[in-house]
This record gives sequence, structure tokens and C-alpha cells, in this order.
Amino acid sequence: MERPEITNKLTAIFRKVFCNDSLVLSNDLSAHDVEQWDSLSHMLLITEIENEFVIKFKLKDLNKMRNVGDMIDIISLKTDC
Amino acid sequence: MVFTSFNFLIFFPLLVVIYYITPVRFRWLTLLVASYFFYLNIKPVFALFVLGVTISTYIFTRLIDQTNVESRKKSFMLLNIFLILLPLFFFKYFSHINAGIFSLLESIHIRWPLPALKLIFPIGISFYTFVAIGYTIDVYNEEIKSEKNIGILALFLSFFPLILSGPIERAKNMLPQFYSLKIIDYSIIVEGLKLMLWGYFMKLVVADRVGLYVDTILNNVSQHNGTTLLFASFLYPIQVYADLGGYSLIAIGTAKILGINVMQNFKRPFFATSMSEFWHRWHISLISWLTDYVYTPLSFALRKYGIWGIVTALMITFLISGVWHGAALTFIAWGFLQGLFLSIEALTNKKRAKFEKKHNLGKNGLYIFIEIFFTFILFAASQIFGRAGNITDALTIYKKIFTTAGSKLFIADVGILVFALLGIFILLLNDFMCEYFPHVKLLRNKNKYIRFFSLLLLLMYIISFGVFDSGQFIYFKY
Repeated sequence: MERPEITNKLTAIFRKVFCNDSLVLSNDLSAHDVEQWDSLSHMLLITEIENEFVIKFKLKDLNKMRNVGDMIDIISLKTDC
Repeated sequence: MVFTSFNFLIFFPLLVVIYYITPVRFRWLTLLVASYFFYLNIKPVFALFVLGVTISTYIFTRLIDQTNVESRKKSFMLLNIFLILLPLFFFKYFSHINAGIFSLLESIHIRWPLPALKLIFPIGISFYTFVAIGYTIDVYNEEIKSEKNIGILALFLSFFPLILSGPIERAKNMLPQFYSLKIIDYSIIVEGLKLMLWGYFMKLVVADRVGLYVDTILNNVSQHNGTTLLFASFLYPIQVYADLGGYSLIAIGTAKILGINVMQNFKRPFFATSMSEFWHRWHISLISWLTDYVYTPLSFALRKYGIWGIVTALMITFLISGVWHGAALTFIAWGFLQGLFLSIEALTNKKRAKFEKKHNLGKNGLYIFIEIFFTFILFAASQIFGRAGNITDALTIYKKIFTTAGSKLFIADVGILVFALLGIFILLLNDFMCEYFPHVKLLRNKNKYIRFFSLLLLLMYIISFGVFDSGQFIYFKY
């Protein structure tokens, strides 16, 4: 799946999970930048992403996700498999 | 030898001199020798446990790295975790399990004398065991390569500023630093000294002085009324903050003087506006460890259950946190309450966010104050269990608070209480300024005269009002 498509879908998911319609994603966006993005909401985010892209993350994938850019890279790899 | 002992005040300056005249490539060895010397001075036999944990962790992490078979990697990881937890379980929980088995046998009229061992708890074992477990899991998850030099690993696990009560550090942060112990400049040494000085203020002036009053009350629950118990219950969380927070700052400052950066462990916790935020500010190293190695894998495994998976993971994580403190029912109750508070917050998060947005409460000073106060009340309420000697005492405190409030406050020594409250005021004022007016500085002011006189005043205050004979740090018993 191409990055722009992933980014669009991810944007919709982030806005839904964090109840923020004005949220704009960038590659270096991380939990430090988004209010309410903590370890509790992170897992809700992961579940929504798995459902939307029909993929399954491994625990090791989560450890590699430092920002949205890393997230897109991992999703891209999994949707291309 | 502990941070507040006279021996440490001789040991540390001597070590700094030896450290800086040691050639750079051997400095890690100086620190290793110093760390074991420091720990041996507590009790020589304790060093056997940290040595055992080091050897086991070294062997199994090297094996994890050298095999390509996933199932074997997992087995090595689990085996090491099991082996290094054994001493911790034995020392922390043996006597409770023993007593439990004994009661159970007695209840069915079997009198079978079980061996009762008088065990001396190795100080720091809860902390370095968690450090070793975290390192093992990081190697298994390929976040870090296993350390080839057993001496460097031994230093990581026994590093004397951290070994007794943390912060619980990570290999990714510490191991590279041990390989680059370069010459540092005067300003970093001064910064380290400032951290230590504030840490000594927190411990000697606030924690130990507040403790003189709080211990009198909470060690004699039956003798005191609801008002006094309520007052002591409000003071106790501040005592713990000053004690462990003070210890952490001394540890961080000590490490800084040696050129090593250690993570922050407290971040003005009593200005948190929710329990979730509180746990990002209180004992940060323990909670981030539990988040990374317990909560995240659990909540990930339970993610198909949505918010209820998160709630389950929270409850289990904080029950483990409670049990980490001790096997008594009071700690389990404490852990249960933390999990409960956070679960309620997780379940009501969206509704609260909508409510705050609708009424524009985000920057409302009164609303923020109410949130801060309510969060403190919740934590203080849970700490009644954390402090009480047993469940009966904890429930007695609650009962008296609700039935005999409004009665006369017990003061005992007015001087102790006045100086305790003054110390608390200075501590919380400092935190308030750092939280809301971070540009206003005294110890780090641009003007050298303000810096100098602030430091001098602080030092004189510690010497004048510090309690120098009160004994151990609270977290030595965990």
C-alpha cells in the first residue's frame, strides 16, 4: 500500500481515537506531541489500525514504533506482504 | 554506608579524585571496584546475590544472542528471569508463604513445625533484579546486543549510586555511557552537586523531620483520633516523596559528577491533574519499567477486548507493583486501588475530555486546582494501605477519619511540626515555581551572587534543620 493512502487512513484513525478533527500527522509526530496519547490510548490505536489495514502486529513491532513515520513504515511492510 | 552517612562523605570525594586520575579506558573498572566496595560495606554477603544475578544474566543473554532458534531464545530468557527472581521471592515472600502454610495446617489441626528462617533482606535486590530482567528482555527483543564484557555488565547491575533504591535504569542508556567516560567540565560537576544538595534537603530536612511526627501517629493508630490520623495521612505521601525523591536526586547528582546521566525519577508529582498523569510523575523509573515489561505485553495480548483488555492489564500491572513493594495484604490493597483509579479514568476519559472542552475548563485555574487536590486525595487515601502495618490498622484509620474527624489535633513537639511544615512549604513552593514559572531560578540563576547566596542558604538550612540520626531511606525495605 502506498504511503499517502496509509497516511490518509491513519489520520482518520488518529482523529477518531483522540477525538480531535484537526489533528494532522507528520512523520516525526509522537506521543509527546499529542495530548491523551499515552500507553492506555496507544493500545486502542493499535487495535483500530489492525482492523483498518487487516494486519497483525507483533510485540516487537510496537517496540520499534517511536513516531508516526515508523508506524507507516511498519504498516507499509505488512500490507505489502 | 548510605548517602546520608559520614562514611559516604569521605568515600565519594576520594572516589572522585581516584576516578579522574584513572586513565579513561580503565575508569569503568574504578567504578566497578567502588560499587562493590560500597555494597560490601552494607553487608558483605549481599554482594553474592548481585554477583549471582550478574553471572546468570551474562550467560543467558550471550546465549540468546548466539542462537538463531526463536524457541531457544525464549527459553533462555525465561530461564534467566526465573533464576534471578528466585532470591527475590525467597527473601521477600518466604516468611509470608511460610506463615500462610503454617496457618493453613493449624486450621486443620496439623502441627508441623516449618523451618522459620531469620532472613536479612539484601537491600537493593528488588531494584537490581528488575534492572537485570529488563536487560534480558531487551536482548531477547533485539533492542540491544548482549554485553560481551562481563565487567561492564557487572558495573551496570551494581552501579553504586543506583543499586540501593534506583532509579531503575535501562541498558540502552547506561551501557554506552560506561564505554565513553570522558573528561567532563566544571559546570557538570557543579550541576551534580546542586542535585545532591537539593536531594539532601528533601531527605534530611523534609522527609526525616516529617517522619518524626508521622511515625509517632501512624505507628500508634489506636492512640489517635480521626483528625490526627487524617493530618498524618496527608503528610505521609509528602514524606515518601521527599525520601525517595531526595534519594533519587542524590543518586542522579552522584552519577552526574562521574559523567553519567541517569533518568529523572520524580517530576513534581503533586501537581498532577489526574492519576494517569500522577503515574508519569511519581517513581517514573519503576512505572516505565512496569509499563514496558508488564503492561504493554499484557494489554497487547488482551487488545481484542478493547477498553476492558486495558482495564485488566492495568489491574494486573498495579497488583504486581503492590506485590513488588511487599507480600502483605496492605500492599495488594494499595496496588488494587491504583489499578482501580486508573481503570475508572480510562473508562471515563472521553466523557471527561468532552466535558472539559464544552465548558472550556482546560486552562481554568480553579478547575486545575480542584483536579490537583482531588488527585492528591486519591493518592493519600491509597497510601494509608501502603503505610499501615496491617489491614486492621488501615481500616481503623479509615473508620476513625470518618467517625472522629473534628476532634483535637495531636501535636506532640511543636518545634518538630513547625519545621516539618516549613520544609514542606519550601519543597512544594520550589515544585510550584518549577511547574508554572520555570524561568525563575535561584540555584541556576544567571547572576552568580544570587546562585552563591542561594546555595549557601540551602546548605546552612540543611545543617541547621536536617535530621542526621533518623536512619534508613524508606525504600530500602522494598
